[in-house]
Amino acid sequence: MPKDEKPIDEQRRNFLKVVGVMIIGAGIVGTLRSVVQYAIPPVSNAESSFPTLLLLLPNGNPVHTTDLVVNNPSIVTFDYPLQNEPNFLLRLGDASNNDVKIDSTTVDIPATGGKYQSPAGVGPYGSVVSSSAICQHLGCIPPELRFHPPSSTNFPGKVHCDCHGSTYDPYKGFSVVTGPTKSPLPGLVLSYDSTKDTYSATMLVGPTIYGHTTDLSGGNPVSSSGATITTLGV
Amino acid sequence: MNDPQPIPRKVPDYMRKKGGLWYWTGAMIMIAFFYEAITGLILFLYYQPSNAYVSTEGVLNIAYGSVILTTHLYGAYIMIALVYIHLLRNLFVGAYKKPREMQWLTGIVLLVLTVAVAYFGYSLTGDVLSSDATDVARGIAGGFPVIGTYLREIFMGNGQSISLFTRFEGWHIILAGLIGITFALHFFMAEYNTIMPDPKKTNYRAPLIDKEDSSYKPWYPYNLLYMTQIALFTIALILLIPSILALLPHVPALFSPFPQVSATSPLASQVPPYPPWFLLFVYKELDFGISSTVGPFWATVIFTGLPLIYLLLLPYIDRSSTLKTTKRPIVVATGIIGIIYLIGLSTWGATMPGIPVNNVVGLLFFVIPLVLVIALVYMISGRLESGKVKIQNAWKVYALIPFAGFIAILAGISIYAAVKQGTIYYTIATIFLLVILGISITALYASIYGVKKASEQKSLSGRGYVLFGGLYGFLALAIVSVISVIPPTTIFNQSLYGVGLGLLFLLGAAFIALYRSHAYNE
Repeated sequence: MPKDEKPIDEQRRNFLKVVGVMIIGAGIVGTLRSVVQYAIPPVSNAESSFPTLLLLLPNGNPVHTTDLVVNNPSIVTFDYPLQNEPNFLLRLGDASNNDVKIDSTTVDIPATGGKYQSPAGVGPYGSVVSSSAICQHLGCIPPELRFHPPSSTNFPGKVHCDCHGSTYDPYKGFSVVTGPTKSPLPGLVLSYDSTKDTYSATMLVGPTIYGHTTDLSGGNPVSSSGATITTLGV
Repeated sequence: MNDPQPIPRKVPDYMRKKGGLWYWTGAMIMIAFFYEAITGLILFLYYQPSNAYVSTEGVLNIAYGSVILTTHLYGAYIMIALVYIHLLRNLFVGAYKKPREMQWLTGIVLLVLTVAVAYFGYSLTGDVLSSDATDVARGIAGGFPVIGTYLREIFMGNGQSISLFTRFEGWHIILAGLIGITFALHFFMAEYNTIMPDPKKTNYRAPLIDKEDSSYKPWYPYNLLYMTQIALFTIALILLIPSILALLPHVPALFSPFPQVSATSPLASQVPPYPPWFLLFVYKELDFGISSTVGPFWATVIFTGLPLIYLLLLPYIDRSSTLKTTKRPIVVATGIIGIIYLIGLSTWGATMPGIPVNNVVGLLFFVIPLVLVIALVYMISGRLESGKVKIQNAWKVYALIPFAGFIAILAGISIYAAVKQGTIYYTIATIFLLVILGISITALYASIYGVKKASEQKSLSGRGYVLFGGLYGFLALAIVSVISVIPPTTIFNQSLYGVGLGLLFLLGAAFIALYRSHAYNE
């Protein structure tokens, strides 16, 4: 440094250092804010609203009540509203395989403390119900997540996930019976056409389907002609 | 050749003084390259080769996507412009001479790689310009003797659209990676060969090697701060220019920071079939009579291959040890002629795209500057040699006049738009532009009366530093608060954010200059 330089004012220099850090900080904040906000993908709904889809057999004919077995040990699912969102289709009965009428109940969401009204069973006996078949704990799907029919009065039927042991009660709106899940399975609202004996999926209620930002985003819509059921034999 | 010195090397004080930027064009290129690499990778979060045009347009509507896409384009433009400036500077000062021949060669490789990566980059958009350029490049690559078909398929895929854009994406990244590797070579050669010291030291004779002495200040903090200042300044330019252009209506296609209309759109026929400005010369050369005779491949070889070969061989052609420009009139004249050809062909291509040029006119275009420049350079270097004429260092003035003029035109358009449209945003844009215009006119004034001004600035009082420092800090906070409340919902708002961010970086650079002046008397 040149000899003739005047002594440095430390206080002034520290003031400038603080201002410098502030300016650079402002630049970093401005940059990071835009980059982070840019990196968040915009939610794009594959569907603008829940479609109403007729449930179809693999051969293309509508599902009738006789196609559904009470306490079916096989796993019957269909995708709704998007292709990667499977749902159970259950016809619930008691231990001696007689249809049980399912009423709408208030379901708790332990994770948020919220409540919602579960859809009531439909069909001639009010026994057909449906829910998302993606476990709300960590996203396991059938056959790990499946319905175990009632075998005796001591064991009423439950939906159980073999991955981590979450259990849901399909007779009470798929509410949580045991953890680790903190959320019930989202209920699927079915409508029953008694004149034609057909079933349609109309919407979902309750928590958002596991792994999705909204029920209607994060995948491709299912065919508009109807939702085809598949049976996973056991 | 040199004693092992710790890297990074120290540099003498004069390289950090006013006008020292001239020694750091390479550093600015490096910063632009890093900016490009980072924004480019971020852009791949949304780019889909299967849906090239729609996904590129879609980026504009993602929060701040417009800033990232337009600055990525202009970062490339600035990088290419700087590569040319860096090349010409080193051509004129004789930096290609011993011991820097290999460094020069890697530099020429970097020029080719930079233009190539830029070609693939702007073709990724899938707009009408991209599709026109693809057709031209298909013709050029396909004309390569024997392996033409293979070359075309290697670079452009099997003819399917998805294959084309996947290849473009791949080659864009591969070439960028090659730039990184070649740049590392180039950089470490520069460190090894040292900076070029004042040629007076060796009486304008090569080899010119810098010997560090005790007057060199340590790299940290002196050079680090200066590098940061240059980096902030370069990024400020990259952010400001496209963001300001994005605010203006009716920017011509050649300088528009946005993708043009889709190639399949009915509006496509209204867009002149331009390549981007840095390839306009290749585009015009294909209009010459001789090009249609020999085909696009051989025309490209003649018009761009020969100059490149000349540049590659230059260190081995001009083996003399003199570094004086006046003693190398041929090299200097070819450099100037190169600039004239480049600018001439580019403006010609821009104003008369695709209009055939007959061989006589073409020949005149090449011969007249050739004869004129060689004669002039010989005459002037003779007179300079004999000491009859002296030229002051006026680079800054020459650079600032067109810049200030350009900003003044933009400000004019913006004032017109502000009056016509009457929205607050145009008013803000006008104010921003007028501030830049004011700064550049002040800089111009300072450059003309440079010496006095510099000594005045040195004697800025202690209170002055506090005052300016505080002012910069206040402005930075004000800008960051103003831009943070602008919702990034429209492209216009995003561009305003870009302008604000650019001003923040500019303030950062100005502040470091102030701090260096205060703390280190630099």
